[in-house]
Amino acid sequence: MPDKIIEVYHLSKKFGSFQAVSDVSFSVYKGDVFGFLGPNGAGKSTSIRCLNSLIQPDSGTVEIFGKSISTHRESILGRIGSIIEKPDFYKYLSAYRNLEIFSRISGKPSSKQEIYKMLDFVGLGGREGDKFAGFSHGMKQRLGIAQTLLHNPDLIILDEPTTGLDPQGIIDIRNLILRLKNEQNKTVLLSSHNLAEIELICNRMVIINKGRSIVEGNVSELMNGENLILRLEASPMPAAKNALLAWKPSLLWDNVGDSSLQFPIEKSEIPGLTKFLIEHDIEIYSLEAKRTLEDYFIKIVNQ
Amino acid sequence: MILINSIYNEIIKIALKPRSYLGLAAITVLVGVIQFALKADGMSIISFVTASFEQTLTFEGNVLNGNLVAFIILQMLLVQIPLLVALVTGDLVSGEAAMGTIRMLATKPISRVQLLLSKFIAGGIYTLTVILWMGIMSVIVGKLLFGTGDMMVLNSDGLVILQEADVNWRYLGGFAVAFLALFTVSSLSICLSCFTDNSIGPIVATMSIILLFTIIGTLDVRVFDPLKPYLFTTHMASWRSFFEDPLPLTAIWRSIAVLVAHNVVFISVSLYTFHYKDIQS
Repeated sequence: MPDKIIEVYHLSKKFGSFQAVSDVSFSVYKGDVFGFLGPNGAGKSTSIRCLNSLIQPDSGTVEIFGKSISTHRESILGRIGSIIEKPDFYKYLSAYRNLEIFSRISGKPSSKQEIYKMLDFVGLGGREGDKFAGFSHGMKQRLGIAQTLLHNPDLIILDEPTTGLDPQGIIDIRNLILRLKNEQNKTVLLSSHNLAEIELICNRMVIINKGRSIVEGNVSELMNGENLILRLEASPMPAAKNALLAWKPSLLWDNVGDSSLQFPIEKSEIPGLTKFLIEHDIEIYSLEAKRTLEDYFIKIVNQ
Repeated sequence: MILINSIYNEIIKIALKPRSYLGLAAITVLVGVIQFALKADGMSIISFVTASFEQTLTFEGNVLNGNLVAFIILQMLLVQIPLLVALVTGDLVSGEAAMGTIRMLATKPISRVQLLLSKFIAGGIYTLTVILWMGIMSVIVGKLLFGTGDMMVLNSDGLVILQEADVNWRYLGGFAVAFLALFTVSSLSICLSCFTDNSIGPIVATMSIILLFTIIGTLDVRVFDPLKPYLFTTHMASWRSFFEDPLPLTAIWRSIAVLVAHNVVFISVSLYTFHYKDIQS
């Protein structure tokens, strides 16, 4: 079993009469890209703020690198890089000056060359002198990532890092996270309500809803055995429907246009179905396994 | 080391924020206007003041000199300077909360006490800069424009004539006490800044408190009398005591003690509040 990097145990936090987090527990291991999944208002950001010592929990403990954040705050924070909600910088300062300011109190101040190199790394090379106020949302996120990585932290906490980014920006951030894991063996905690993102990037996850942690585990294991929705585009359609009923008489489908339909299926059944349709002279134009985590998530959240 | 780095950060932030120069620009313009007015028509103003003494005293030499001009300017402007200071210092915590940068700072390996102390120190350095600029503009530029000479001060006890050689150290002492008074304003505004995420609120609140305390201090109502000696606003004009002869040392030390006590309270309350504050911005 790898080292535990984060251990959250029965964390609770109330703001007035509102219970933001209630009895949340989870563990993150070294090298994990850990998904922190939940709908908006589930308590993700409050939990993450407790991890960063921005908020004092009412009860429960947070241990990072084997030490309590409440008693070893500074030594722990020196090994963490985080973006919480959105990266906010000084609007009247340049990208370089902003990084310099945060680097100076990061415990490992960076040289001018290191800051320039980091700006290059996140795709902001040549924009060092530009004021933060003039940056697009994507550029702000990149600068936030640069600030997070500049002091070479062991643990990276990213709270909704792709929110508001264009598709290319999302892919870039996703690839960056995978590079951090694969090339530098960093541990990443990624908070998101984007299910596809968690499924694509994370190896482990916890689902949190209404302030409570509902399920925690390996993403692929949690997905195992869950129904997929298969969209089938085939011809001729009446013959395809007959073949499907012959394959499984209880099968119920939804028509999608004239040439497609979709129905629930287990992953292990797909090869057999494909073979069956071909044997019945059905021409298959496309087979698309839709959803995965989304249905699982909705099912879990609605329980 | 991290405290020094943080103080340096705070100074950089103040130095690069355009708002910080409003105060210095305002002082330059206001002092310039007063100096121009005194240069143009100063003697008639002086004659109006000295008229009541002319039957018993004869005034000779450069009466409207740089020493007197600086005193007139300070008396007119040191009431407004707290606003210029609070405009920058009242924003130091709440402005960062409003921008969201306080969240970024608080996730760094610096204790909250150090983080806030660095803001107090940077606020103090800014206050000192404002006072120094005020000194340069009023005393040094004043002496360059109006020359030097013995200083004539009219206070509640009557007319005081101070020898030219006896003036400079009084200005130094006066500016030191004025700095302490303005630093109290700075501490108050930073303290208020810890309670809100609104950047304008603490600035307005600081000025409201100064206004309220000043009104209480000037109202001739017996119920307020026990309070007056303990209000920091009562001691904000203590710099003027340095231009009395003999020097009222007891009153000066009492003012310094009251101002220091206020600073200790404001800083302690701020550190406690900020240390335990949930940062939700």
